[in-house]
Amino acid sequence: MSGNHNNPSDQLNQGLVIFILLGFLTFVEYMIAIWNQNLLLLSVVATIKAGLVLYYYMHIYKLGNIDEGGSHHSLAWKTTTNRLGFWLFILSDAFLFAGLLTTRFNLLGLTRPHLDQQLGLIVTAVLLISSFFMNRAETQMKAGDTKGFALSTIITLVLGIGFVAGVVGVEWQEAPFGVADSAASGVFFMMTGMHAFHVLTGVIFLGIILRNGMKGVYSAENCWPVEAATVYWHFVDVVWIFFYPALYLIGIMA
Amino acid sequence: MKSPEVKFSKAIALFLGGQVVGLLLGVLIQTALAGVYNGAYFKDIASWLLGVLLALLGFFYGLIGYYGLVKGLVWQVLGTIAGGLLVSAIRFLMGLEPFDLAKFGFTEGGWVAGALIGAIAFLAGVGALTDWFKWAKGEKTFDHHQDPEGFIKYFGVSLDHKVIGIQYTVTSLFLLMVGGLFALIFRLELSQTGLEILSLQMYNSLMSLHGMVMIVSILVGIAGVINYLVPMLIGAQDMAFPRLNAFSFWIAIPAAILLLSSLALGGFDTGWTGYPPLSVRAPLGMSMFFVGIWVAGWSSILGALNLIVTVLRMRAEGMTAFRMPIFVWAATATSIISLTATQMIGLAFQLVLFQRLLGMPFFDAAKGGNPVLFQHLFWFYSHPVVYVFILPGLGVISELLPVFARKPLFGYKWIAMSSLGIALVGFLVWAHHMFSSGMNEYLRVPFMYSTLLVAVPTGVKFFSWVATLWQGRITRELATPMLFVLGGIVVFLLGGLTGPPNATVSTDLHLTDTYFIVGHFHDTMFGGYIFPFFAALYYWFPKATGKRLNEKLGKLHFWLMTPSFFVLTLFMMRVGLLGMRRRIADYDPALSFDPWHLAMTISAYLIALSVLVFIWNIIKTVKGEQNATGNIWKSRSPEWLVPSPMPPHNYDQPLKVVGEPYDYGLEGSKYIEFVNKEEHE
Ligand code: HEM
Ligand SMILES: [Cu+2]
Repeated sequence: MSGNHNNPSDQLNQGLVIFILLGFLTFVEYMIAIWNQNLLLLSVVATIKAGLVLYYYMHIYKLGNIDEGGSHHSLAWKTTTNRLGFWLFILSDAFLFAGLLTTRFNLLGLTRPHLDQQLGLIVTAVLLISSFFMNRAETQMKAGDTKGFALSTIITLVLGIGFVAGVVGVEWQEAPFGVADSAASGVFFMMTGMHAFHVLTGVIFLGIILRNGMKGVYSAENCWPVEAATVYWHFVDVVWIFFYPALYLIGIMA
Repeated sequence: MKSPEVKFSKAIALFLGGQVVGLLLGVLIQTALAGVYNGAYFKDIASWLLGVLLALLGFFYGLIGYYGLVKGLVWQVLGTIAGGLLVSAIRFLMGLEPFDLAKFGFTEGGWVAGALIGAIAFLAGVGALTDWFKWAKGEKTFDHHQDPEGFIKYFGVSLDHKVIGIQYTVTSLFLLMVGGLFALIFRLELSQTGLEILSLQMYNSLMSLHGMVMIVSILVGIAGVINYLVPMLIGAQDMAFPRLNAFSFWIAIPAAILLLSSLALGGFDTGWTGYPPLSVRAPLGMSMFFVGIWVAGWSSILGALNLIVTVLRMRAEGMTAFRMPIFVWAATATSIISLTATQMIGLAFQLVLFQRLLGMPFFDAAKGGNPVLFQHLFWFYSHPVVYVFILPGLGVISELLPVFARKPLFGYKWIAMSSLGIALVGFLVWAHHMFSSGMNEYLRVPFMYSTLLVAVPTGVKFFSWVATLWQGRITRELATPMLFVLGGIVVFLLGGLTGPPNATVSTDLHLTDTYFIVGHFHDTMFGGYIFPFFAALYYWFPKATGKRLNEKLGKLHFWLMTPSFFVLTLFMMRVGLLGMRRRIADYDPALSFDPWHLAMTISAYLIALSVLVFIWNIIKTVKGEQNATGNIWKSRSPEWLVPSPMPPHNYDQPLKVVGEPYDYGLEGSKYIEFVNKEEHE
């Protein structure tokens, strides 16, 4: 078992604290952007946010938990192996998004597309809140609270759909440019599109663990798919932590 | 149960039938569309390739019935049609023209959607997704399935790494022959000045596809060798994720089909690099090429992921990092590259694809795009990938040398670390392909130095090989694997030595885009991949089958291939230095390159002949008796300490590493020990 001996309510509280911190940092980010669009400062804040999510929500430190020998058929051994594989997948996927960021900075430099700031802040908040509930869902499952898990997962799922609706349904329609207008518009649609695609796959993943969780397939000790879905969901959030400033805050409006 | 002979003749009959039906169908469709019949329809490449598709389907159907591969292919065709129709329907609802006859029926978007849905349909049809569907439904799945008896297990989903390794290897050999065939065709065109047999468009398509088909063949080939060997070498029963392993293999099949389909759908003329802006304007085939490589990328990424986890988690007791076989180090270094860098080529191709489909102007300078960006993304993968091609091969060389020299491998730790070193430095050199691209000039010098730095870890390997051979007890009669190892070392040396002139800016500006480059990379790829790959096949074939490949034919293979290959690449470099441009279908007679090119063409055909000798050898040996079930190479490696062919679950008794892997000839040294099961529990 991944050795976390905190009791569940401590864990829920920790999730809340991290959530408040992330919200606060997002606010700071926004203020920095109003004050001046300093690339360095904004990158530092984004990196801190990503670090918080990686550590407290994605539990990256669990990668260091090598189970005590054990047979290759034991649950602990399998979970550790699955976790390693899943994180390698995340690493690979991260290269895709790093490539998109490279594309953005290569083509747009320190300018940014003409976007609706309010909407940007709203969808960012929606995704952040969904991460909070995702963390709750995982904690509840690991505490054996299936009902709580189901409720939190449903909220996460709805917020995820809300995020996609906000980006694709509103932002894309309202944008004062079309896909083919300029490299900047291309970059905007490609970055948000690839990200929204990941959110959608995350929604499907959540749908699967929700259904199986309610059917009683998982238990507090045996719920690797829940952990995987959680890590994936938070990863998509981490991506947005970088995409949001890259698209909305950094640089001057083109 | 019918005898295999009967099935085989049925398969051949269906093959020929499929070819005829496909061709006639193509002619019929064109006649119907145009309203009149025209004899030229019989020369149409698309109809011929439709015939090839049906012929292959018929062949495999005759062999195995409606199962596995055949089912996957049928589903892929249906999926492609469904995807295309879906886009047509959407376009119709949007008030756009639903079909495009100039593009073989569907619009380009329709073909791309069809390609993706077809690939997924293939996977569903073949059965590679079944367990995951079950998992999503919350049902139980098992890590081990019972494979069907006999050869049919190679045509369906198997979770056994040995079966998957062989599936990969055979696919790789098939692609090697297809890519080689393309080269033979355009080499014929090049044997004299003047355009004789190919159109310019066809030349470009074949040349471009030759490059990429060969690259996919190499990727599939190393996956084959790695899959077959690594679990055995580390004393494991299988890979860490057997299902993912099967998925990684099977997704390479629709990818290869998509790649090849580009030839039928108009071809493309950019070379394997697919640079925009040309690739934005190229025919429909370009898009199929992009989608094909994008899909193939997933095979690499997931295979690499699986390998890294396997090495980290499945090693036998006592196998510390520095007691791992050297090939395992090489495979790990390779996988680090495939896992991460592959995303970049996927992204690069995806961006061009979207510029083609939706006009998103990433590479259109007039709208703020930047074509050089593509080259950065592309080479960020495509340089490191050359190390993916060669590191496993160099690993095979280091693995086999001590066995045949009967001496410890010289500088084990240095070799292990040099693989990692090459892989990591390889990430910092990509812009040496862009010295003449118009990127910022100040970037040239750092990339020149970082490239030259790669010579250091590569040199470490050479020193180790030479030192391992030094005073080795090599038998006068060289076994075929050893011949290929030695050949590989010499050829790779030539390739390595022709690298620095390309890496030095001042000389590269003259050499870039000439045949010198073509000579350089053929030397590196043959020395680093083809020779060691054949060495590995000759060496481990008895492990897989219990039958040893014929030595005489093996030597004929080697002695046909090696001199021809030297003639081919040395002449390439010569005409390159004299000013022969690469990627052109014709050249000025006044340059008087004709005799050189003729010699190159003849050499190319001799190499092809040598590969046929190899295939003949395989067929002959497979039909023959089991004559090599023991440790025929007197190896210390665990896989040779159990009988051949390898037992179903590799090792019935767990094994334990108690010494150094390559202490050949040291009295009383021991590498592994089998642990008695009862004692162990
Ligand atoms: C060890 C030292 C090596 C050096 C210094 C080196 C350097 C270079 C350079 C600078 C180029 C670009 C030439 C140009 O297009 O202007 C090049 C091309 C190439 N090299 Fe190497 N190389 C080395 C080894 C290898 C190896 C081991 C491989 C693969 C097995 C390889 C494969 C290639 C390929 C495929 C190209 C052609 C790319 C293209 O333009 O289409 N090289 N090499
Ligand atoms: Cu390179």
